[in-house]
Amino acid sequence: MRSKRFEALDARPVNQDGYVTEWSEVGLIAMNGPNDPKPSIRVEGGKVVELDGKQRADFDMIDSFIADYAIRLDNAEAVCKMDSLELARKLVDINVPRSEVVKLTTSMTPAKITEVVGKMTVLEMMMAVAKMRARLTPANQCHVTNLKDNPVQIAADAAEASLRGFAEEETTVGIGRYAPFNAMAIMVGAQVGRPGILTQCAVEEATELNLGMRGFTAYAETVSVYGTEAVFMDGDDTPWSKAFLASCYASRGLKMRFTSGTGSEVQMGYAEGKSMLYLEARCIYITKGAGSQGIQNGSVSCVGVPAAVPGGIRAILAENLIAMALDLECASSNDQTFTHSDLRRVARSLMQFVPGTDFICSGYSATPNYDNMFAGSNWDADDYDDWLIIQRDLKIDGGLVPVLEVDVVAARNKAARALQAVFKNLGLTEITDAEVEAATYARGSQDMPARNVVEDLKSAEDMMKRGTTGVDIAKALIKGGFEDVADAVFGMLKQRVAGDYLHTSAILTRNFEVISAVNQPNDYRGPMTGYQISDEKWAILQDIRQAISPESI
Amino acid sequence: MDQEQLIRQIMAEVMANLGKDSVAFQKKSPAAGGAIGKDQYPLGEKMPEKVFSATGKKLSDFSLDKLKSGELTAEDFRIAPETLEMQAQVAESVDRDSLARNMRRAAELIAVPDDQLLSIYNSLRPYRSTKAELYGIADELETKYKCKVNAAFIREAADVYEKRGRLKAE
Repeated sequence: MRSKRFEALDARPVNQDGYVTEWSEVGLIAMNGPNDPKPSIRVEGGKVVELDGKQRADFDMIDSFIADYAIRLDNAEAVCKMDSLELARKLVDINVPRSEVVKLTTSMTPAKITEVVGKMTVLEMMMAVAKMRARLTPANQCHVTNLKDNPVQIAADAAEASLRGFAEEETTVGIGRYAPFNAMAIMVGAQVGRPGILTQCAVEEATELNLGMRGFTAYAETVSVYGTEAVFMDGDDTPWSKAFLASCYASRGLKMRFTSGTGSEVQMGYAEGKSMLYLEARCIYITKGAGSQGIQNGSVSCVGVPAAVPGGIRAILAENLIAMALDLECASSNDQTFTHSDLRRVARSLMQFVPGTDFICSGYSATPNYDNMFAGSNWDADDYDDWLIIQRDLKIDGGLVPVLEVDVVAARNKAARALQAVFKNLGLTEITDAEVEAATYARGSQDMPARNVVEDLKSAEDMMKRGTTGVDIAKALIKGGFEDVADAVFGMLKQRVAGDYLHTSAILTRNFEVISAVNQPNDYRGPMTGYQISDEKWAILQDIRQAISPESI
Repeated sequence: MDQEQLIRQIMAEVMANLGKDSVAFQKKSPAAGGAIGKDQYPLGEKMPEKVFSATGKKLSDFSLDKLKSGELTAEDFRIAPETLEMQAQVAESVDRDSLARNMRRAAELIAVPDDQLLSIYNSLRPYRSTKAELYGIADELETKYKCKVNAAFIREAADVYEKRGRLKAE
């Protein structure tokens, strides 16, 4: 006979998730792994001759790259000998400023920093995140995709997302050849909602760079790195190819960050018996050594792996913290769906939501989950009010602001019409008034009429062959009577001439002022310091449409 | 300009012997008064009259009207090596040396055409090139585009790939 209590528990969403016990020999262990190397470093004549227990002659490709590029060497031996517990306390201590901690952390080896964060509880790590995040003001990023790659819907969803406060927006494709249309649609839509939003289109590396060079996107993020050489080879790259790619982006004035996450190595079967966090630390050092301004990490698309082992969500926070401690921009994941449980998905996100990160989600799905082409997101458009009310409950700034239905409808409509004009004036496939109307009021692609995919792909290919650029998009907007949107596209293009947004944690205001860790560094030193929600901002955050005011009673 | 190029080459060779990753061109910034730092940042807001595009147009002269009239073309929206050098100095002023190094590698690559950059990137992927092919790419970058730092970087990659067995089988 079965216990009715256990029968009820078995039926709960949390029990539809998968869990495994630790198995450190194959790397199924989140952090504090028994086989992780002991920290060590020896420098001779300005060159690292020993790193984390390995002699230079035994270095693999990743060891070599980290040893030669990623560690500040002048103080490295001394820092490695310091007590890891004392270093962990400095990370949490409000009396030790970020600038002082960064001098220590950037001198550590991957094994050392893994050992240091291994001494911390999640609460202590959250305190450290509040201090170590590079940019003073937290922000958020969203995904704008749909099942049909419908560009009209992408433009409308992007405009709504801008209005709702996202600082960056990312699209991708179901069908690869839709990439130029999707990139164009998210840029035009985002600029309609709020000028200065950075947009990207995540596709294969060479295509992504090409879209950026043309001025269809403002930044790139899916530059993946891995923690073991074997997995790097499977990923068809090396630290040198990725570092070269980073320079290619900067040479065209484009913002770029790398991507990595715990669990990718064990998922691909080459964890070498090391903990997920130690291998991720190596990824973050590769990122640092390549000169990328930042990283998207926090397990990202491998979240199911750490989430299944004990302490996995703690390790995800720990990897975000390591990125910040290495003075990198951190887009802290909170993206791919990993659980059936609403309680679990909120608990996982509070780790970054409460202290605030450069981009809390990377990203939050700006569509219903069925339209998210990054395999679903931990947060989606149907959760907008939940996110807003959690911000209001806790008085925290998670990057979103309440909006009115009438404003959202107007922005969606304008974005769809602007894209209609761009398509018309660039001689692309037709966007009908019926599609504009549908996108204006749609929740998702189920509410959109079907497009002729064959014609769209042919049209997109022709456009790429013609050499169409961001300048042509701006001109098409002017011709269509959308001079204000053209001005915003022009403002985005201008950024790549100045290059100010190539710096750590850069985002843009609606007036194209750059906010980054250079001119607005995080200066948190305890209560009433660092980022404080202003009275004006707090008034906006609490003004939700559902609240009953005393006057109305 | 030629003399400066020569001095930079000599400097680079001297510094290459001190360790490949420390090659850095302390080029005098086009803005008068020495190094640029975080106080001048953002350059586009604080000194747009001293920021020029790769085509030599002044950022403070950029306007939507000029885009509309065709006076500004897509080519004009490209960053100049001098600007990336200034941004590298900003990065150094806030202790971000590896970011500065990336910006200096990037400054060299501005002159390399889009298609060629993409093709070099693909050649650097594992098992794509022989050692001789990678050295050939490095030589071309160095002689044709004066990409001294990138050339050294690609030769270093070739050596590491050889050691780790990641070259194309000959």
